[in-house]
Formats: sequence, structure tokens, C-alpha cells
Amino acid sequence: MTTTRRNFLKGLGGAAVAAGARLDAAPAFAQSGPIKVGALVIKAGVGALPGEYGLRGTQWATDRINASGGILGRKIELLIEEESSPKDTVERFRKLALQNKVDVIVGVISTGVGLAIGQVAEELKTLWLAWDGTTQKGVEETMPTPKYAFRSVDNEAEAVMSSILTAKYFRGKFKTVAGLNPDYSYGRDNWAAFLAIMKKYNMGVTPVTDLWPKLGTTDFTSHVAALQQAKPDLIFSSLWAADVSIFLKQAHAAGMTANTKFVFPVAGLVHETLKKAFTPAGMILGYNTMYFEMANPSPLLRQFTRDHYEKYKEWPSYESDHAYFVIAAYKAAVERAAKAIGGKWPSTDQIIQALEGIEVESLSGMRSYRKDHIMEANFYQGLTTYKNKYDFVTIEPVEVMTTKQIQKPSGVGLYDWINSWKV
Amino acid sequence: MLGGVFHAATLFLVAAGLQLVFGVQRIVNLACGSFYALGAYFGVSMVKWALDAGAPQLLLLAILLASGVLLAAIGPVVERVLRTIYGRDESFQMLLTFALVLMFEDVIRFFWGTSPHQMGNLYLVYGQLKAGDLTIPVYNFIVIAAGGLIAALMGGMLRRTRWGRIVRATAENPRMSAALGVDITRVYVRVFTLGTALGTVGGALVIPVTAAMTEMGIDLIVEAFAVVVIGGLGSMRGAFAGALIVGVLRAVAIATYPEVEMLAIYLVVIAVLVIRPAGLFARAAT
Repeated sequence: MTTTRRNFLKGLGGAAVAAGARLDAAPAFAQSGPIKVGALVIKAGVGALPGEYGLRGTQWATDRINASGGILGRKIELLIEEESSPKDTVERFRKLALQNKVDVIVGVISTGVGLAIGQVAEELKTLWLAWDGTTQKGVEETMPTPKYAFRSVDNEAEAVMSSILTAKYFRGKFKTVAGLNPDYSYGRDNWAAFLAIMKKYNMGVTPVTDLWPKLGTTDFTSHVAALQQAKPDLIFSSLWAADVSIFLKQAHAAGMTANTKFVFPVAGLVHETLKKAFTPAGMILGYNTMYFEMANPSPLLRQFTRDHYEKYKEWPSYESDHAYFVIAAYKAAVERAAKAIGGKWPSTDQIIQALEGIEVESLSGMRSYRKDHIMEANFYQGLTTYKNKYDFVTIEPVEVMTTKQIQKPSGVGLYDWINSWKV
Repeated sequence: MLGGVFHAATLFLVAAGLQLVFGVQRIVNLACGSFYALGAYFGVSMVKWALDAGAPQLLLLAILLASGVLLAAIGPVVERVLRTIYGRDESFQMLLTFALVLMFEDVIRFFWGTSPHQMGNLYLVYGQLKAGDLTIPVYNFIVIAAGGLIAALMGGMLRRTRWGRIVRATAENPRMSAALGVDITRVYVRVFTLGTALGTVGGALVIPVTAAMTEMGIDLIVEAFAVVVIGGLGSMRGAFAGALIVGVLRAVAIATYPEVEMLAIYLVVIAVLVIRPAGLFARAAT
């Protein structure tokens, strides 16, 4: 067929219409593909354990959402990168944001890494929902008014709760106290918070020694010997990894667990390692924001616990809850923001606006984000007991406190806040 | 003090493996920390398997020693990989053996997962000793005795046996040894396997007291290097003395000034490097 001027113009017009349709279709295509969620997960070192729990929570949340049709009809696609040093993790954050063009990035457990990521999230205008890693020092200075970064609960909240429970359960039962805390800002802040609260509650206790083992220490024989020498009535320890069971095992072997009281604000992360054979009953044990063995668990927690055990042959730990929550919060925020604009896919700014103050059900009950982008949640702690079907300890009674009680409010220093308490 | 000696015993086994392999093969083998970690994991699994099969708990020590020796079978395989870099620059060797460390971490994660592994209260199966206010598990003394015994056996073997003389001769001058009919390749395989066994047995022996976790090897390598610098690279006596110095110094620091635990050790390292750079006992494979 020869091409006439009329045919050529017709073709040109058709091509223009098609091109126009494609131009119009471009955003629709972006909104109909999968939602790309980047996840920064620690895979090596001491942090690999909470990293693994976080990833399990993320995958469970993702599978659940995808099975029910996704978010506004779009499935979630996970892109997993490793959290390691601050510098390398920042590079991987950039890769996820710029190369993979993810919609949101979740994860990060280390405070040091989180401080670096917080800045780059603002710089790249990429939404980042942290799992953990929010000790006091440096956070206010580095992330004073974040827009794109949403932080986890303050790490000291668990020490604050344990200290309040120490006053409740052990008042008048101990005079001397020793600290055994990991030698980094988290351990130092927790010990300082504990002593400040003991003072605030007029407990009249004297610190006899404070030991600072390296995170992930595998031999505590020298620490146990030093504690035997100092003879404290109570030991406060914010160890949280495999080192908890190693210390307790070695303390038990040295005869220390019979008469000494113990407070472990966050050892519930490794609850299955706290075997009845060497873990004393009646010590304060914290599970952060999720306790797997609630007397009346929500259907969500019951399902997660069951699925987790079937898949991994382990009872779940709290980092899964942080990770579940950020995905659930993102979904709720997208849906809320979309509803406000007539069902279209919302912009990042609109999602951020919806996230501020959002409240959704998590594995540990209702959780929310404050207006200043900090999580609010319930914390679970109690006294260890052997009355269960496991070979490890659980807690009874289960004490529940909300972050409204144990997390400092926005814009106030931790110790100023503690000193302002009326007790 | 006893805590320090206990720590020194485990540290010695890893540092001795590092020393032996460097002394003879001139390989700075960072993977010795991985052998220690693998020994710990394999020990837990073997003990669980043996107890489930009806073995009495009192056999704990024998099972652990056997599992450590059995696992040393990975030595020849790793040596085959490292054979390609004999004679290469030390920084290259360290890079390759560090790569092995990372690979072994993944191997551990693949077979045992990320959760720590331990064996409950078997630690106390041999009882406790009471001295005044102090209670000390007998197992701690067993580990210390095992460390001492292995040190004595290693010393005796290297000094008094024919194979020991061949090893020392190979360490001094491999070409001359080869010219005199020594099968260098076979010596290297055996020495490397022995070095591996020191790590795997060390990991297996210590596991009842502690818990196995993926990163346990890396932490120990750092300390083992302090031991090697103090004692002198390649010296077995140096490994023994260095481990004792590091272990006891750490215990004393924790009991008196816990803040300076690391500082105290590395002050000694710096002092040795400045005053006697080759270490306190710098002689190859003695």
C-alpha cells in the first residue's frame, strides 16, 4: 500500500493519541505494579538474632497483606538489604531509594546506624519506618524534627518499667545493687536510668559495682567472680543476646542465683534460652513490646505465635512485633490517605500525614505513632516462673505498661522527665 | 584469678592453632576462630544426639572431645583451598582467611540458624567445689586441665617425637626438608589439621559453660591476636604465656577497674611491640 498524505496524517494522529494514552497511563502503571518495600536487616554478629526476628515479622505481615489482596489492590514486593556499619547501610539505603525506587524502607536495629539513616532519609525524601535502635544520646541532636523518618519506641522505656517494678516488688528487700550492662550507649543509659529511678523512689540502695562486658561476651567467669566479691543484693542487667543465658548459667554454677535478686529489662528477646535449669524464679524479666504467652492473646497474636512455631520451631520474640507494626501502619496510612483523596494512590507527603497519630492493631495490641514520629506501644514484664509447659521460664504475673507511662514525652530530657515524677 | 585462668585455657587452644599453622606454613589463619565456633555448634549437636541415644551424662567430656576431633576432618579440605596462597603476601592470606570466616558464619547460620544454642545445665554434671564463700564448677577445672594437658602434649610432641622434629625442620627450612625427603605437602596437611583440631576441640570443650553463637569466633580471633603479639608469632610457649597474661589481666581488670578491661590488655600489647617487637618467646614452632 502506498502512503498518501491523508493516510500519513491519519497514522500520525493515531500515534499521537496512542502516545497521549501512554503518557496518561504512566502514573496508572506505577500505581498498579507492586509496592516496593525495602528492608534493612542485620544478618551478622550479635544483631543477627533480632534482625532475623524482624525479618520474620515483616514476611508474615507481607504474606498476610498480599494474601488478602495487597494495599489498594497492589501486592507488596520485599527488597532485602543488609544492615551493617552506618556507612555501608547508608549506601544500601541510597541504592534502595534511588536505584530500586522503593516506596518505603523499613528496618534498622542499631542506634548508630539509625542516626545515619535518619539524616539520609530526610535528604532523599524517602519514607523510613524504623524497627528499633533509639537510645537517647544523639537522637534529639541528629533527628530533631524528622519528616521522613519514623522512630521506634525509646530504648530506655524498658529500663524505666523494670525500675518501677523493682520498686514495686523488691522495696525493702535489697540494700546493695550492681550493674552488669553491655558496654555501649544502650547499656550505659539503662544503668543511669535505673539508678535515677531508684533515687527518685527513695529506695536507699547503694551501688557496689558496675561491670561493662562487651556486647556478645561468651565468658563471664571473671565477671561472676567480681560480683561474688562485691556481694550485691540485686543485679540489674540490660544484656539482651545469648550473653544473658551464659551469664545466668555461670552465675548459677557459682551459687549466685539462690540469694541474689535479678532484673533483666529486655532479656525476653532470648526467652527460650533462659532454661529453668539455671534461671531463677522471681526475677524481673522484660519482653519489650510483645509477650508470646499472654493468658488471653488476641486472635492476631495467637495466629502469629502458631504460624511462627510451625515454621521455625521457636516461640516468637518482640522484634517481630516492631516489624509487623511498621508494615501494618504503612498499609493503614496508605488506605487512610487514599480515602481522603477519593481512592487514588496517595503521595509520600500524604502518607506521612496519615501516619502521624495513626493507631493500628499490632501483635502486642494497639500501637500508634505520635505526632513527633515516635511509636507508642504496650510493654510486658513480670516475675519469672517455672509454672509452664516449657523448659524455659515465663512470667507471672504479667505487668503491662504503656509508653505513655514509661516513655518520656516529646521535647523533654529523660532525666528531667524522671525528676518531674510525683512518687 | 581462676576465672582468668579459665579464659586463658580456651584462648590458648585457639591461639595455639594460629601459632602452629603460622609457625610451620607461614599462613596467618584467621579462620581458626571459625573452627572454634564450629566446634562449639557441632559439640552441642553431638551431645544432644548422644544423650538422646541413651549415653550417660557423665560421658559429656568424652563426647565433646570426640566431636572436636571428628570435626577436625574439615582441616584437610580448608588446607587444600589455602594451598593456593602459600608464599603469597600476608595481607592477601589474611583477606582470604577472613573470607573463610564470613563463609563459615553463613555455614553455621545455614545448619544451626541464628538463635544461640546451648546445653542447659550439663555444665554441672561433674559437680561443684566449695571453698569458703566461693562455689566453683568442677567443669571449669576440667577445661583448665585440658588446656594445660594439650599444651604439654603439643610441647612434648614437637620436641621429642620424630614427627615433631620433621615439623620443626619444615618450619625452619621447608626446601631443605623437602630435599632430605620430607613430604612437605603431607606435613602441611597434618599440621593444618592439628591446628584445626585445637580450635574445634577448644570450641567443643567450652560449650557447656557458654552458648554457641555465630559471632563467637570473630571475638576470639581478636583476643588471640593479642595473645600472639605478646607471646610472639609462631611460638607455642608464647601462646601459652600470652594466653595466661591476657586471661589473668582481664580478670584482674574486671575485679578492680572494669572500665579498663580492654585498655589493660592492649597496653601490654603496645609495650611488647615497643620493647620486644618479636614477642616474649619469638621462635618459630618451638
